[in-house]
Amino acid sequence: MKFRKKSWLAFLLMVVISLVLTACGGGNDGKAKKENSGDDGGGKKITIFQSKVEISDQLEALAKEYEKETGVKVEIWGTTGDDYFQQLQIKLNSDQGPSIFTLEGLRQAQKLKSYVADLSDAEFVPNIAPKMELKMDDKVVGLPYGVEGFGIVYNKDLVKPEDVKDYDSFVSTLQNLKKQGINPFGLSQEAYFLIGHMSNYPFSLQEDNYAFIDKMEAGDVTMAETPEFKEFGKFMEAIREYSNSPLDVTYDEEIGDFASGKTAMIHQGNWAATMLADYDLDFEVGMMPFPLAGNDKLAVGVGAYWAVNGTKDDAEVQAAVDFLNWMVSSETGQKYIVEEFGFVPAMTNIEANNLDPLSQAVLEASNSGETIPWSHSYYPPNLIVNDFTPATQQFFLNKDITGDQFIKSLDNAFQNAIK
Amino acid sequence: MKKSKVIKEILLLIVAIFYLSPIYIMLVNSFKNRQELYENVLALPKDFSFQYYIAAIEKMNFLNAFGNSLFITVVSVIFIVILSSMTAWMLARTNNRISKIIFMTFIATMLIPFQTIMMPLMQEMNWIMKTTGIPMLNTRGGLIFMNIGFNTSMAVFLYHGFIKSIPLSLEEAAMIDGASKFGIFWRIIFPMLKPITVTVMILNVISIWNDYLLPSLVLTQKELRTIPLSTFYFFGEFTIQWNQAMAGLVLTIIPVVVFYVFAQKYIIKGIAEGAVK
Amino acid sequence: MSKTKNRFWFALFTFPTIFIFTIVVIIPFISGIYYAFFDWDGIAANAKEFVGFDNFLKLMEDERFRHSAWVTIKFTFLALISVNVLGLTFALIVTSTLRTAKSARTMVFMPNLIGGLILGYIWSFIFSDAFSIIGKVTGFESVFYNWLMSPDYALYAIVLVFTWQMAGYMMIVYIAGIENIPYELMEAAKIDGANYWQRLRKIVLPLLMPSITICLFLTLSFAFKIYDVNLSLTGGGPINSTEMFALNIYNEIFGYSNYGYGQAKAIVFFLIVAVISLTQVYFTKKREVEM
Repeated sequence: MKFRKKSWLAFLLMVVISLVLTACGGGNDGKAKKENSGDDGGGKKITIFQSKVEISDQLEALAKEYEKETGVKVEIWGTTGDDYFQQLQIKLNSDQGPSIFTLEGLRQAQKLKSYVADLSDAEFVPNIAPKMELKMDDKVVGLPYGVEGFGIVYNKDLVKPEDVKDYDSFVSTLQNLKKQGINPFGLSQEAYFLIGHMSNYPFSLQEDNYAFIDKMEAGDVTMAETPEFKEFGKFMEAIREYSNSPLDVTYDEEIGDFASGKTAMIHQGNWAATMLADYDLDFEVGMMPFPLAGNDKLAVGVGAYWAVNGTKDDAEVQAAVDFLNWMVSSETGQKYIVEEFGFVPAMTNIEANNLDPLSQAVLEASNSGETIPWSHSYYPPNLIVNDFTPATQQFFLNKDITGDQFIKSLDNAFQNAIK
Repeated sequence: MKKSKVIKEILLLIVAIFYLSPIYIMLVNSFKNRQELYENVLALPKDFSFQYYIAAIEKMNFLNAFGNSLFITVVSVIFIVILSSMTAWMLARTNNRISKIIFMTFIATMLIPFQTIMMPLMQEMNWIMKTTGIPMLNTRGGLIFMNIGFNTSMAVFLYHGFIKSIPLSLEEAAMIDGASKFGIFWRIIFPMLKPITVTVMILNVISIWNDYLLPSLVLTQKELRTIPLSTFYFFGEFTIQWNQAMAGLVLTIIPVVVFYVFAQKYIIKGIAEGAVK
Repeated sequence: MSKTKNRFWFALFTFPTIFIFTIVVIIPFISGIYYAFFDWDGIAANAKEFVGFDNFLKLMEDERFRHSAWVTIKFTFLALISVNVLGLTFALIVTSTLRTAKSARTMVFMPNLIGGLILGYIWSFIFSDAFSIIGKVTGFESVFYNWLMSPDYALYAIVLVFTWQMAGYMMIVYIAGIENIPYELMEAAKIDGANYWQRLRKIVLPLLMPSITICLFLTLSFAFKIYDVNLSLTGGGPINSTEMFALNIYNEIFGYSNYGYGQAKAIVFFLIVAVISLTQVYFTKKREVEM
């Protein structure tokens, strides 16, 4: 008798466990359903999963404005930028993909070929600044967030752009600054700031930078035999000789050293302006081109594009396109892009005023077309973080490595990444 | 005799404080602006204004995230304790091949890095959702279910080791009295497991409360975000708001520390009669 | 009790756990094995090409994987010793009669709770700035410099941080074991005139064997799987000198998009680690005393 009772209890416990578990799930399910049914009255719901954490807050606010105006609910998912693409990949693979997501370049678009919708017919396409859209197989698949540019960010009290025109003047400027006890040129330890952006120049100075990378992949050409790369090696040697080692410096410290006048020039982009704004600067800041092979143009490109998930049903795809269109054409949306997101617009129909000096330099370069393109978004996956960076660390740690040897090690790194 | 004890006390305190220095760095820098942070990481902040805490609370939607984290952690841990203690007891007291294989499987899977199974896991969950209609993704329940799956093996392992050191005679006596296994477990065994239960609870609270990766895959809706998920706002592509991030982290760990201080009373019997003197 | 009844109870007690566990861990793990035989970039819509054992053969020639295997084993070995020596010492101290023991217990526990990017930030500061100050003050500048920047020392930096984190964790497990030692046993030994070290060696350690088994295994499994600390502290650098298993596999799967190859690595990793760990469990379990 007693035994029976106890086994009943046990059985009951199991039932309770499974009940509670399903109830937890079910409870939320009910909630989700309610939300959905609420939407049916007002319209569709779209979801956005995007990589630029800096704008998440503002994007959520913009989504609310959009819902107020049109009744379409826009849900923004969270991510810590670094693992964005991996999360996107998992979400798409398990049919949990968003309606709108970020693409960081052609490589990612090609990888997600079967997901990206063709946006060629969208209303906003004609307004995209020349060459700034993301094109794959002659179809427009990405709407640029904004343009970004990098070059040498310098302290106007310490450096004159006339003194940084080519290799010789660059080196003598480094020497002069070093004599004054100032660190002439700063990089930092993070992969993109150490070599990722820097390595762009020799590629971007080629006639057709994408074709050059394709040729490298095919083994038809090496960096070691290309003059721009040879000179790049010399530049890096000079940086290593006259400047503090970047391996010891974090991005935060790089900016801090620059802001406090300890470093005269850093290689950075217009995004650094938000960091600099946190300091009281007692000098003016400018941005100038990195003078590799006499280069006199800033490297301007698009870091991220909006793309639409074409595997969703037609209504959702349309709703997603409508949202993007509203964002770049309505007054509210345009205001957000410039003032809240802080982007340098990549649309000819958006005007930008009151930009910080770095963004202003990028905007002017982009409007005049005096720019060199970005190449790093077309690098083989993971090349910068996993292959270029170790080679560069080696270069900075071991002073015996010459510029030529460094370029050879980059060649090897490249081969390793495509293997 | 007394003097040496005082020295020991002081020595211990010094070691502990040294051990805590990274926590100190975290604390003081949650009060500094970027320029202060750059100038001296070690120094005390110029003023202790809680502005970064307030900003962090607002950005993280702290109360909502706290509720989610609390609910998920508490329910997961309760289930883990109940299920794994029962399982471990059975496995420890059944001396046959099957029970050994099951136990070894539990242990072996603790060696799988989560990163290698997260993709198949999400696909499977989606498949379950599609075929059975049970909402595994984007629900707290689904996350709790997965938390249980990932954390029971360690709990079983801990319980198993502990149960081995409990004399069999007690159970045998009760068995002769005609008590059912269920009764024996809950009346006799489970109370004796208290120290290890508290340990299992502490370890699981730590890992579930702080977990980022799994919730980030399972929960996408804003309303469901846990505390670690809500800290994403501070880690931008190029700029990290260190002060707010550290303030957010301080807020995140306070509840766990409070829980620990409370729970440890139950693992430490009486200090006066400590085992080793 | 009859056999069927025993079976019924066995099933009742173990089934729920095994059921959940199978769905969440076993099935994904097995489907992961399936992918190891394909050349695939990890996007569901893209083609998978069956390549048989090619991924495993490729592995044999993968210099970097072998290197990361070696680094991981070296790291695990060092961490195993440092974490457990420190964790056990902490546990013995904080269960003693010292008045400060109670607060020390909380302090040692706290490092567990700092993770991710902040951990990397704080420690990179300690290694770059605090270490150089210590070096200047003590004159040992050849020892105290930024370890993270040296291919020879970066691994020790990770061991240090990992120990700092995990010693408190293992301490908690050891405390539970120590508290389980019958008080009377210790008193009896004391009356017999055994001094502290004798009691420790003859009573405490043997009775603590189950806890030691557990802690060794837990450290082993955490150390082998180390990912967060590795990523935020060195990111595998400098010059890939600290890229350990989990990070290497992760890079292969999500960095280079070689899903199948990454899964093959994961399986080999699992086999290596399982052999080592289960051997450890087998040997330490043997030394446990049943009461």
